[in-house]
Amino acid sequence: MKAIRKQRLITVLLILATSATGSFLIIRALDSNLDFFFTPSEIFKEEIPNNKRIKVGGMVLEGSVLRDKTNISFVITDYQGSINVEFDGIVPDLFKEGSGVVVLGYLRDKTLVAEDVLAKHDENYMPPSIDIKN
Amino acid sequence: MLIEIAHFLSILSTGLFFICFIFSFFLNSKDIFIINLVSRIYSHSFFIFLSSFFVYVWLAISDNFSVLYIAQHSNINLPVFYKISSIWSAHEGSMFLWIIFLTSWGAVYNLSTSNDQLLKARTLGVISITSVGFLLFLLLTSNPFETILPVPPENGADINPVLQDPLLAIHPPMLYMGYVGFVIAFGQAIAFLFEGKPEIKWEKQVRSWSLASWSFLTLGIALGSWWAYYELGWGGYWFWDPVENVALMPWLAATAFVHSLSASSKSSILRIWTLLLSILVFSLSLFGAFIVRSGIIDSVHSFANDPERGLYLLAFIGLLVMVSLLLFSFRFNLLLSNKKIASLSKESFISLNNIFFGTLIFSTMLGVLYPLIYEFIYNQKISVGAPFYNAIFVPITLIACIFLYFSIDSKWQQSLNIKSLFQPLPISLTFSATIVILAFFQFSITNLWTLASLLIGSIIIIRYMIVIYFYFVYRKFTNIFSVIAHCGLGLLIISIALNDNLSSERALNIKINETEIYKDHQITLKNLRMVPGPNFDSVKADFLIENPNGKTFTLTPEKRKYFARGQVTTETAIHASFLKDIYLTIGDQLDDGSWIVNIQFNIFIRWIWFSAIMMVVAGLLLAHSLSRSRP
Repeated sequence: MKAIRKQRLITVLLILATSATGSFLIIRALDSNLDFFFTPSEIFKEEIPNNKRIKVGGMVLEGSVLRDKTNISFVITDYQGSINVEFDGIVPDLFKEGSGVVVLGYLRDKTLVAEDVLAKHDENYMPPSIDIKN
Repeated sequence: MLIEIAHFLSILSTGLFFICFIFSFFLNSKDIFIINLVSRIYSHSFFIFLSSFFVYVWLAISDNFSVLYIAQHSNINLPVFYKISSIWSAHEGSMFLWIIFLTSWGAVYNLSTSNDQLLKARTLGVISITSVGFLLFLLLTSNPFETILPVPPENGADINPVLQDPLLAIHPPMLYMGYVGFVIAFGQAIAFLFEGKPEIKWEKQVRSWSLASWSFLTLGIALGSWWAYYELGWGGYWFWDPVENVALMPWLAATAFVHSLSASSKSSILRIWTLLLSILVFSLSLFGAFIVRSGIIDSVHSFANDPERGLYLLAFIGLLVMVSLLLFSFRFNLLLSNKKIASLSKESFISLNNIFFGTLIFSTMLGVLYPLIYEFIYNQKISVGAPFYNAIFVPITLIACIFLYFSIDSKWQQSLNIKSLFQPLPISLTFSATIVILAFFQFSITNLWTLASLLIGSIIIIRYMIVIYFYFVYRKFTNIFSVIAHCGLGLLIISIALNDNLSSERALNIKINETEIYKDHQITLKNLRMVPGPNFDSVKADFLIENPNGKTFTLTPEKRKYFARGQVTTETAIHASFLKDIYLTIGDQLDDGSWIVNIQFNIFIRWIWFSAIMMVVAGLLLAHSLSRSRP
């Protein structure tokens, strides 16, 4: 009887140990792969390392879009702070001056070097509510 | 008038489904009279509900804009095909379709199962009460029959342009078919627990149903991935978006479930796993509906936010899961098997497989929910992207595949001789190592994960080739469905690894009649044309592409502006060949008249969907053969 109990105890402990290690590894992988989200006014208040991928969301400042061949640069603002963005590639169809944008990228000398530019409201399958009664 | 009729029919069927549930659980369900009665009420209720849907389809086809939902999502100028598919282009209508599929699975089950089957009445009862839950959700919080009276608008607001695509008309139905198909397995599991007779072999009865739903789910996910690839213009096949993840979780659980089923339908081993998985699959399917429809998570796919809907769904799903788990814990002793799992038997490999799948589900769930938890605790917005999922999925899948390799020759309830385990290893290892060496020197792939994936992917395929060889030469028994599905897995791993490693893209700046060179391909912008479409204007750009062998072909990417919403969309142009896709999208026009063009070489991408199709085919064939051999 005792031998069986001991065996059971060992099995339970083994299961606990493996699942604990597993969970620890998963959560560690999670923690080292998070993308933090900032607004332009928050971004310079924090110390963000160069190799940390971040997301910045705000409005594209009117008149700030400059294009040079396939490069595009613009300023994102939340009307309290702003940050310059550089991107090489095609911006989404919904990208417009004065409309919302989310940029995924790395910080280099106070400029955000974009890996990806997402126009806001891409996330919405529904149209901006159209007043169909008119 | 038609609207009110459709609305009334839906309400009527809700009531009938409820009666069906009451009869099956509170009357003597072994009485053949009761079973016949329940079966009949279910059929009638289903046909009433189905006719409500058909009336609704007719309302959409006939442009009845006094229905608010149709006015918001359809348009006179749409082709009939899209008028119909506009029904499932947003929340209310897609929920309608979801319940149609839910009840249809039940109806097919009802027709194809004889009434002397012990679990039938209660299974129909579970399906009925689930349908009632969703029908109440539909009618109370998201009523598709709401009207605009007395003056309906003259024209509708149109379906979202990116959804005006034949593939998107069939992707959601396939996905929903898969999700809700597991209601049969779930219903039988609950009925089995309720009955409390361990000798009833419910696992055998649900195998073909579950395999069929699994196939639909796989197909639905693959179609969605293919649509995202060519329609959204980003060029990828998977983005680890929360909504993709909530479709992936039931798929992972369902895959573990169908494996587990094959074990527990043969002996009483793994019954607990199978039962828990049947509950898990269905709850994860419902959880997906909650995530997509509550708006608690920002995603490419989420429907408009509505906390009331989210709360209802959460409460309903919570109740369903709680009742099932309570029932499960009450009947736990029934399921205990005194047989031990023999080491290195097929069952032991399937249990391991369950653990791997469980880990993947847990990690995905964590990735989906972590941003919510984090924001709640630290008040800081975060998102979890591809790097996390890659860090988890790649190693676990590869390790699981190594076990898959050794499980191929294993037998039910018998330990396998360790020596025989390693017999075919030299041959398969030689072949797959050759492939890896070739990849290393010929294509200069140096990433260790890619090489490992190539090795493991090809070793599985080669091992199965040996199995097929033995089948043809020595007539050794082979489960051909398993061979097809797992070769699909091997191919999937290889394709994803190659695609990830070798694909490339570049943005180009080009004027009419100019030529740019990218990777030995000459790209010339020949012409720009304005072409009017049925409900949009489009600019088409004709590109002439010459590959290094001197072969030329034309690609015509497009930009569309839709009348009804003024929305601009990009249509990609793809030249597909055996190994790679050349993928072209046009961006904006600059002030000097030149255009920005994005060119991508997507290596091996087609094989990703092809491998999914292999799995679908294997699943459907096995489901078919099982349903024919059923007593």
